[in-house]
Amino acid sequence: MTERLRHALDEYRTRTKVAAGVSVATGVLEGLGIADRYTALESPIGPVFVSWNARGVVALRQAANAEGFERWFRRRFERRVFPATERPELIGLVQRALGGEKVEVPLDLRDSTAFETAVLEKARQIPKGHARPYAWIAREIAHPRAVRAVGSALAKNPVPLLIPCHRVVRSDYTCGEYVFGSERKRELLESEGLPLDEIQALARRGVRYIGRTEGNWFCLPTCGTDVLEDEHTCLHTIEEALARGLRPCGVCRPVAA
Amino acid sequence: MSAAAAPFEPQTCVDELGELLALSLADDLDLAFEQVVRTYQDRIVSLAARMLRDPQRAEEVAQDVFVRAFRALRTYDRARVRKLRLRPWLYSIAMNLIRNATRGKHLQVVALERDDGSPRPIADRAPPPDAQIEDKEDWEHVRTAIASLSPRLRDAFALRYVEELSYDEIAEALDQPVGTVKANAHRGLMAVRAFLEEHS
Repeated sequence: MTERLRHALDEYRTRTKVAAGVSVATGVLEGLGIADRYTALESPIGPVFVSWNARGVVALRQAANAEGFERWFRRRFERRVFPATERPELIGLVQRALGGEKVEVPLDLRDSTAFETAVLEKARQIPKGHARPYAWIAREIAHPRAVRAVGSALAKNPVPLLIPCHRVVRSDYTCGEYVFGSERKRELLESEGLPLDEIQALARRGVRYIGRTEGNWFCLPTCGTDVLEDEHTCLHTIEEALARGLRPCGVCRPVAA
Repeated sequence: MSAAAAPFEPQTCVDELGELLALSLADDLDLAFEQVVRTYQDRIVSLAARMLRDPQRAEEVAQDVFVRAFRALRTYDRARVRKLRLRPWLYSIAMNLIRNATRGKHLQVVALERDDGSPRPIADRAPPPDAQIEDKEDWEHVRTAIASLSPRLRDAFALRYVEELSYDEIAEALDQPVGTVKANAHRGLMAVRAFLEEHS
């Protein structure tokens, strides 16, 4: 009988064993405000600190040292962040994204407002080698007059590079502000292949759209790196483009839908 | 059943990690607490799931256990945290919360009248525990037997023979003398064994 009882108890123990769902630790740690970890990583602008929790990446910032990053994080998010003791898979994804690969990195943007999140999500869709004006974002998120607010939202981007806010520029294609400095913004855009000097020179002459000879559409001059390389016509107004029978490009959407 | 047969005693592994974790907690509670959650969450969720027989509720209770543990640790001084025996301490918090969680549930189960106050027909009441257990496996009999134990025997028995804590730890978790939990665990074991024999 003892054997049988022992066996039944072992069986009972095994069958009723439960592995805690991810939500248990996440719920506890988030509830207590101790869910965030950080580490230092290489990036196109040099070493940066990256912090994350179970939901995704929370922040990316330059700082003189770990203490500086912790201080900044605490001021910004009103909770502590802790040095990581291990690197989860997420960090591998972040490294690939910072290396220029097109990978989807989960982000935790819960500290941003709905408007900020809409701006950030829109900026996130701008492909490498492209740029869009602040006013374009404002129009795309259906707040066409909130251009300055778009600028403020991008300035608060908690995860620059991962959300490429450097690809959002002024309407004259000068760079505008950037968390890592305006000069860095220019370098990043040029390293991604955009001929900024040329585009800015065109803008100064009042050229706002580019007609693509191959195909019958027109683009923003920053719709990819090859717009000015291919045969093209310079256009000053939408009316001019439409008069030539050109349709707006579906990628850069140069006019409101 | 031969009453002379010696009851077996499960091996209790020493909670060495718990001792280390207590030192880390004393050092930096915020930093070390995640490891505490990760180390004990499966044990605590399993305990709650067995006691409550409701996996979802068990996760809620487990979360509550860790949140309360953290808040309590905040108020302890370093020396106390260093000396803390984490495993039985967490079990004591868990047992209290599980007790609270079952209190309301039991009332529901034994309700003999409908919501409108009229008497409930016998057929609507829960079937007696041994009505449908004839062709069940041994481990299911164990489950039924545990559920039918009085709380005193059940708690001591479950912590000893299912959760496999040491008598020291159980005494701490239940806040009872070691002799009492030993006796209760043993009586529980005998009752479960008798139940199993009846249903073979």
